[in-house]
Amino acid sequence: MTAATRPAPGPVAPAATRATGPIPMGRSSRPAMPSVVLAVIAAGALAVTGLWWKDTPTISNVGNALVSAGDILGLLAAYGFVVLVGLMARIPPLERGVGADRLARWHAMGGRYVITLVTGHVLAIIWGYSVIAHESLTHQAISLVTSYTDVLYATIAFFLLLLIAAISATAVRRRVSYETWYYVHLLTYASIALAFSHQFAQGPSFVSSLDARIAWSAMYAVVGALILWYRFITPLRMLARHRFTVAGVREEGPGVVSVYITGRDLDAMRAEPGQFFRWRFLSRELLWQSHPYSLSAMPRPDMLRITVKARGHHSGSMAHLRPGTRVIAEGPYGAFTPSLSGRRVLMIAGGVGITPIRAMFAALPRRMNDGITLIYRASHPRDVVFKNELDAIAADRNARVYYIIGSREHLGYDPLAPEELSHLIPGLQRYEAYVCGPVGMTRTAVESLRDLGIRRRHIHHEAFDF
Amino acid sequence: MLRAVLALGGTAAGIAALIAVKFHPAASSTLAGSQSLMSPSASAPAATAPPATTHPAATSSAAKPSAKASSSSGGTGGGTGQSTTARTFTGAVDNTQYGPMQVAITVSGKTITKITVVQQTDNGSESQSIDSMALPKLTSEALAAQNANIDAVSGASYTSAGYKQSLQSAIDMAGL
Repeated sequence: MTAATRPAPGPVAPAATRATGPIPMGRSSRPAMPSVVLAVIAAGALAVTGLWWKDTPTISNVGNALVSAGDILGLLAAYGFVVLVGLMARIPPLERGVGADRLARWHAMGGRYVITLVTGHVLAIIWGYSVIAHESLTHQAISLVTSYTDVLYATIAFFLLLLIAAISATAVRRRVSYETWYYVHLLTYASIALAFSHQFAQGPSFVSSLDARIAWSAMYAVVGALILWYRFITPLRMLARHRFTVAGVREEGPGVVSVYITGRDLDAMRAEPGQFFRWRFLSRELLWQSHPYSLSAMPRPDMLRITVKARGHHSGSMAHLRPGTRVIAEGPYGAFTPSLSGRRVLMIAGGVGITPIRAMFAALPRRMNDGITLIYRASHPRDVVFKNELDAIAADRNARVYYIIGSREHLGYDPLAPEELSHLIPGLQRYEAYVCGPVGMTRTAVESLRDLGIRRRHIHHEAFDF
Repeated sequence: MLRAVLALGGTAAGIAALIAVKFHPAASSTLAGSQSLMSPSASAPAATAPPATTHPAATSSAAKPSAKASSSSGGTGGGTGQSTTARTFTGAVDNTQYGPMQVAITVSGKTITKITVVQQTDNGSESQSIDSMALPKLTSEALAAQNANIDAVSGASYTSAGYKQSLQSAIDMAGL
């Protein structure tokens, strides 16, 4: 039950959403940590199954078999919710070791799985009792809901979950705004709270065992505490210490703005180029959400810069931020940072994925003279930002920058295909590669680089979704 | 997509396997059978809860109840008539963790025609809500089976165990 935690309602920002700006996701090496986390989660599920096993008597008929199946489904679902919340609790080792993007993907996949478990739980319980009591399914369902207050609450929780699932379903999700989706998603907390009491009142594993009730409550409490600490208290403490404040906003191109944020002792956060923070701007419009945006310049002790492309309501509002607006920042997060291996460096940026690349580009050591190449993909010339900065850094480092503009259809070829890359950069297998861009582009680039002989541990990538 | 199917299929198969291992269709109607049925629900909680509450009743149900039974059956007005008249036998009180369970049976000839709950667990509203669900089921099962060898109702293992203990002692008294 160790990995069980979950995010609180406040500063939630599902990393992989349609926000804007590069939403830090992928990472390269360090494959051990995710496996460890998955193993811990699986061990917890086994323990839950053991609890059920211990308290389930011999089953002698179909009705009891169904009810027992419903019991284990319910237990696993409740455990699953705790895990899902835990994955989003911003626990530093998880954020660093697994990565925000992977956590968000696990959360999304796990959410669908757990909803299925809950549905199975509800159906199996109703069906099982209807077999035992020789009642119709409808009649049994009504009698369960009307006989037990706790089951009534749990039923409300279930319908909330169905609503959330419906809104999150891919087809519907495209048609609702990010904000709608986000606020509906917060109802999950209400759902978890409503469903809690029926576990102890009706769950056979808990009715009979005080120890089980204590352990189960402790699991919820630990996760709740982690959320409270990492999603509420830590950001407020950081605000108190660093006093993040908007210093100014600059338009970098159509719909792309940089936000400059000042503060005290910013170097104490040890942020590295390529990393990101989750930002909550304390203006009336933006107060209710936090979003992950990468640093787009080398962090300085007194100033940070992020660059955001307007895609949703949130990022659109950033252009109107007033200097002096306070900011809550959570971070730094992310392992997409320069590895300083001494190898030559290839950077590939797609669209607004240039932001962390821009910060890392400026951070490369000068002694790498002549070993740096940056490929900047954009579908339209107006989407290119930081051109002056990039050119200046390149001139300083003797680096080469290739701006490759136009969609694949427009160009008539894929500039990130293996043959094109090897043509552009001979001897690629000796390079350390950094890729940041949309999911599809990132995948193409990473596959090409692998084909060209670069080892996985020398390919660092971060994809963002919208 | 494939992974989702595998995950759900694996979960379903795993749960089905667990249930299958636990599944033993009730066959024997002997007392031994009923005890073996009961023991899992009684012994599992025993690991964490004081076992004294359920076990004493199990062992003493044959001895003491007779005294209690005669007095209470008299009180109920069942009488000592022959097999043609209906007689009532009140079972021993079984003290469960959540309070006492006691049932009375009405016997006509060799048939149990009615089961009345004399006392039920009263430890808070949870117990009451559990009982309100479990007791009717236990009663209808017992009437159908004509013995105490009935299935525990899931979620009400204490109530079920207490019910069966008390019922068995009543049946013993009735000499069925």
